Amino acid sequence: MTRASGGRYGAENREDMLRPSNNKLTEVLEQANKLFKDVRQAREAALDAQLLVVATDLGKEKASQMFAEGTAFDPTAFAEHLLSFMGLNRLEDEEDEQNGGTVEGYLPQDAWHRLARKAECCFRTAPSFHYMMGSFHAEPPPPKPKIARQMKATSKDAKRIMPTQLKKMDDSHQEATEKEVERILGFLKSYYQDDPTTPISYYEFVVDPNSFSRTVENIFHTSFLIRDGLARLYLDNDKLPHIAPVEEGDVEAEGSCSRKQCIVSISPKTWKELIDVFGIRDTMIQPPSSQNE
Amino acid sequence: MTQRKRLSTARQQGTLGTQEEDDDPTFTQPSTSQVQKGLEKLTPAQVDQKTAEVVQYFLVKDQKKLPIRRADIVKHVVKEYRNIYPEIMKRVTRTFDQVFGLKLVEIDTKNHVYILINKLETVEGPSSITPTNPKMGLLFVILSVIFMKGGVVRETLIWNTLKKLRVDPGEKHEDFGDVKKLVTDEFVRQRYLEFVRIPHTEPVEHEFHWGQRADVEVSKAKILEFMGQLHEQDPQSWSQQYREAHSTTDSSQASTSSQR
Repeated sequence: MTRASGGRYGAENREDMLRPSNNKLTEVLEQANKLFKDVRQAREAALDAQLLVVATDLGKEKASQMFAEGTAFDPTAFAEHLLSFMGLNRLEDEEDEQNGGTVEGYLPQDAWHRLARKAECCFRTAPSFHYMMGSFHAEPPPPKPKIARQMKATSKDAKRIMPTQLKKMDDSHQEATEKEVERILGFLKSYYQDDPTTPISYYEFVVDPNSFSRTVENIFHTSFLIRDGLARLYLDNDKLPHIAPVEEGDVEAEGSCSRKQCIVSISPKTWKELIDVFGIRDTMIQPPSSQNE
Repeated sequence: MTQRKRLSTARQQGTLGTQEEDDDPTFTQPSTSQVQKGLEKLTPAQVDQKTAEVVQYFLVKDQKKLPIRRADIVKHVVKEYRNIYPEIMKRVTRTFDQVFGLKLVEIDTKNHVYILINKLETVEGPSSITPTNPKMGLLFVILSVIFMKGGVVRETLIWNTLKKLRVDPGEKHEDFGDVKKLVTDEFVRQRYLEFVRIPHTEPVEHEFHWGQRADVEVSKAKILEFMGQLHEQDPQSWSQQYREAHSTTDSSQASTSSQR
C-alpha cells in the first residue's frame, strides 16, 4: 500500500467505512500509523494529515450513528407507517419485496393534507393575518356610460336628447317640470307681447326677490326654453343678458346659426346683489299657487 | 443539542448573509435615558399610533413566515421614532401577548431578527376551520427524522426517506412543486430548517438541522407522542429522545420575547 493510497480511502470508501458492522476505519488508522514511520518528505506528511482529517470526520459520524441508546429509529419503517396513515391504498401484491422494499399503491389526493392536519398540533404557528371579509377588488370600476350632453346640436339632435333626459327624471317630476317650463314660456311671451320694443333683462326675469330657491328653479326651467330654442339669450350693448321668446319666423334660422352653451351659477350672495343692483322688487314669474314656500 | 455550526452556504439567501448586512449599521440601541427623553417629547397618542403601526407591520410580514428584521422595522415603520425604539417594542410585545395571544420572539439576538409564534396550544379535533397547508406535513416529516436521529442528518437520508413517500426532489410534485427548492430554500429562509455544508465532502454534501424557528415553534414532545402512535410504541422507548423532549420545559420553549 502506497502512501498516496491512504489519502484515497476517505473519498472512495466512505459509505463502507460508516457501516457500523465493520471496523474498517480503525484498520485504516492503524495502517496510516504504520506508514507514517516511513514518511520523509513534507508532501507525504501532508497526505497523512489529510487522511487524519477525513478519518476524524468519519469517526464523528460513526459516533453520531450510535446515538440511539433506546430503540433505534428506522426511517424506512417510519415512512411505511406514514404511508398507511396518509391512507395509502395498497395493492395486494407479492412483488413488494422484489421492488426493493418500495410499497406499491397510490396515495389519495388529500394524503399530505391529512398528515398536515395531524402534525398541526406539534406546531405553535401564529395564524396568518388575513381580512375576514376578504379585500376589495383593486381595479377601478368600469366607466359609467356618460349621459349625452350635446355641445353643438342640430335640431334633430335636440329632439333625440329630449326623451333620454326626460327618462332619467323621476316620472312624477317630469310632468311638473314640463308644465312649469310651459308656464314660464307663457309669462315670457306675454311680457314680450306687452312691450316688444323693451328688451327683458334676463336677471329681472328669473330672479325672485322673495325666494332664492325659486330663483334657482326659474333659472333651471328657463334653461329648457333656451335649449329647445323657444327662447333666446343675447347680450345688449352693455353686455347684459336679455331674454326674448323666439318668434315663429325665426325658427328657420335655427338650423344655420351656431348654438352656444353656457353655464349659469348663482349663490345667495350673488342673488342679493342682483336684487340690489337691479332694484328687483317683484318677481316676474309668479310662483305656482299650489307650491309651498 | 450540540453546538451549532452555522456556515453560510450559497443556498442560504436573504437575511442570513454576512453579519454586516443584517445589522443596520446606522441603528444603535438607544439608552434608557435617551428613551425617556424621547418619550417626553411625544404625546401618548403618537406613541400608541406608532405601536399600532409596528403591530400591523408584523402581522402582514408574518404571513409568509419569513423572519422580520429589526433594520426593516426601523427603516420602514419606526423611522423618526427610533430613539424610543425599545419602548415601542415593549408595547408591541405586550399587545401581541394580551390582544392576539401571540409571542414575539427574537430568534437571533445577534442579527436582531423576530418571528411570531402562538402562545396558545393548537386545538385538536375536527373543529379546525382553517385549511391545512400540505407543506406542513412535509416539514413535519423532515423535522421528525432529524429529531429522532439526534438533531443532525445528512441530506441523502432525508431525500431517501422522502422518496419512499413518493416525494422525489428531482421531480415536480403535485402538492409541493419544486421539492428541493421548498426544502433547502423556503424552509431554510423561514428558519424551520438549517441546511449546512459538510466540510471536506466532494461532491458537496449538506446536513440538516432544526432551524431557529423550529426550536421555538415545534414541540418535540408532541412529535414523540405522534411517533408513539404511528409505531404503536411507548414514546419513552426512545429514551434519549424522550429525555431531550422533556428536558427543556417544553411548554415554554426557548427564549421569551425580547425587547430588543
